[in-house]
Amino acid sequence: MDAFYLIKVGEILLKLGNRKEFEDRLRSQLHSRLERAGIGHKIDMTPGRYFLTVPAERSAEAERILSRMPGINGYARAIKTEKRLAAVLEAAVEVARARVAQGKTRFKAESRRSDKSFELGSFELSAKIGEVVLAACPGTKVDLHSPEFTINAEIRERAYVFGDPEPGLRGLPVGSGGKGLLLLSGGIDSPVAGYMMARRGMALEACYFHAYPYTSQEAQDKVISLARLLSSYTGHIVLWTVPFTEAQLKIKKDSRMDLTTLMMRSGMMRVAQLLSERIGANCIVTGESLGQVASQTAENMRLTASFTDFPVLRPLVGMDKEDTVAIAKRIGSFDISILPYEDCCVLFSPKHPMLKAKLGRERAAYEALGLEPLLLEALDKAERLELS
Amino acid sequence: MTYLDWASTAPPAAGILGEAAAVASELYGNPSSRHGLGASAKARLEEARRRLASAIPGSPEPSGIVFTSGGSEADSIPLLALLRSALGARRDGSIKRLRLVTTEIEHAAVYEQAHLLKSLGLDVVFVRPEADGRIDPEKVGAAVDKDTALVAVMAVNNETGAVQELKAIAGAIARASSAYGRGPPRFHSDAVQALGKVELDPIASGLSSMALSAHKVRGPRGAGALWTSAPIESLALGGGQERSMRPGTESLQGAWAFAAAAEAANSGFAGNMAKARGLEARLLAGIGTIPGALALPLGRQPGDPRYSPFILSLAFPGLSGEVLARALSDLGVAVSTGSACSSNAKKPGRRVLAAMSLPEDLTLSAIRVSTGSLSTEAEVDLFLEAASRAYRKLKT
Repeated sequence: MDAFYLIKVGEILLKLGNRKEFEDRLRSQLHSRLERAGIGHKIDMTPGRYFLTVPAERSAEAERILSRMPGINGYARAIKTEKRLAAVLEAAVEVARARVAQGKTRFKAESRRSDKSFELGSFELSAKIGEVVLAACPGTKVDLHSPEFTINAEIRERAYVFGDPEPGLRGLPVGSGGKGLLLLSGGIDSPVAGYMMARRGMALEACYFHAYPYTSQEAQDKVISLARLLSSYTGHIVLWTVPFTEAQLKIKKDSRMDLTTLMMRSGMMRVAQLLSERIGANCIVTGESLGQVASQTAENMRLTASFTDFPVLRPLVGMDKEDTVAIAKRIGSFDISILPYEDCCVLFSPKHPMLKAKLGRERAAYEALGLEPLLLEALDKAERLELS
Repeated sequence: MTYLDWASTAPPAAGILGEAAAVASELYGNPSSRHGLGASAKARLEEARRRLASAIPGSPEPSGIVFTSGGSEADSIPLLALLRSALGARRDGSIKRLRLVTTEIEHAAVYEQAHLLKSLGLDVVFVRPEADGRIDPEKVGAAVDKDTALVAVMAVNNETGAVQELKAIAGAIARASSAYGRGPPRFHSDAVQALGKVELDPIASGLSSMALSAHKVRGPRGAGALWTSAPIESLALGGGQERSMRPGTESLQGAWAFAAAAEAANSGFAGNMAKARGLEARLLAGIGTIPGALALPLGRQPGDPRYSPFILSLAFPGLSGEVLARALSDLGVAVSTGSACSSNAKKPGRRVLAAMSLPEDLTLSAIRVSTGSLSTEAEVDLFLEAASRAYRKLKT
């Protein structure tokens, strides 16, 4: 048996000029995600509506994919029938019975008709559905203002009957917003930042600075888990692991103590610039949030951003930590982020770090360190891992 | 791999594991069963009990041995029994005031249980160690009050190797309780790091009970024992096995293997001890040649009877112990650390060393090196060379 889904898209419809491109992107992404999961499927498109058919036994996996696809506003498992009143009513009762079994009783019916040749008008069809459901499911009652479930009937080239749609991520299909390089650590913020940009249609590659043995293998595994989780939203992600130990040692050795964090972040931004050029990214994404830690002041962001000519996108910059945590919990990254493989550097970071970098002065300090050869070497040794 | 992490677990003796496997497959009867197979299993279990008892210094009565799943369970029996005394004493269901006196340097098996008991309403006192990592017997005595039902002090500390003066502590407890006109409370010791490594006679030391573990003396995991001078009303109940102190069908193979491992540790004691003293001296001399590195507690000298020579805590200021352990592992040397890196400032990683009032740059940079009967001078030299190299490179 097949499971049949009706998929709603939202913002794509507003993109008048290049809507086709957006739709094609969404379609090809849905196709490749289902294919990678080994789920046989059929996708049909009509203006404003997509239809997906998958084998019923794979419906849970297909729904997980639909719920994590930016660009999809909602989806509903639907019954597809002939355009005959009796068939539509029978399907409506089936939809109602499944909801009643969940203890729901108050409902309303909504109908749409693009095929005007159907025997009843929308209003009459809704009324008729109400009537037969009331008769078939004792204990139910019609409630137009606060229903517990809605029975939808759409009469198009075929008739479709379905309950309340499950919410999708909304946003735009991945890739429609170009490609960004996400600076991914094992913390709570950066995966959320990546998710937010992916939802706005950005394809991602991620870059993790690994300072082994200062940071553990477990810390790297955690970052891989986070990248894999992000790939469930983006469909696919490339994770670059850049060995950063030598650069960090040089900074610890030669930099003024209060500047070590800033110098490290400057060096990371420089690597991000080079890597973005190499992979064809058009921006750098970070999880920075204003004032969260000493290095995340506007002055310090100005300094670090001066090491790249790509826009540095910081979707969390104005967000409160609690809001970020709430998103992290919702997308499933929180439980991974809080695994206790905290980077040891925190023990040896400066007690009184520089809060307000002066651009010229701190850039000069950075230049004096002569990090460039170590950064180039690190980039050279970066490991590439593809996750989906 | 150069294995210097014997205090975590000792490499199992292959012969003993083989013997245990044979016992498990041949004597599979339940020792509680009434048939012949059960009786043979029961006889073998009692033989293991006798052998283990005679491998313990002072050869206590075998009937005092309760086989458990390991050291942690053996610790939990006397500790959690306090709940039964505290909750069951009053008709109105109120909690009887009971005090547990223990220390800040206990292994988690005692320390975490003690905190649990405290959170459940018992009065728990944690005695702090001196700078040398040892517990002052008089401070234990001073903590004992008229309601004290149990005192728990470990025999040998698992991070510093500090050997506690159990006999003197027992004396201080007795004096304190006689001042209240009472008999002494029970005195328990976690002796997991003592078996086969220090001469610990539980009766002569004034203990009421002690916890032992098989895998620290080259036996298998999942086997341990509680020695107790008198029955304990355990919190866990079941089929009445092990004189109702440790319910559950007995692990005959575990008990058998533990007895064999303890015997080997006991008979090899003098030789192992002499060798460990030699390795301790070599380690301490070697550490002295690495600029910046130190032994903890500060000033520890070879041959000092206050410390087990099998366990050394070494600090490398400016380098996290966890990072050094990782780097050493890459260089083929296995050592341990507490969980050095805790981003949670409220729960510092190195509780034992911190309790000794050592500064944070020493506690967080400490690693534990522990040797055993198979350790060699060559391994110690390999460690010293690797540690020196890694420290030079990674120190910040």
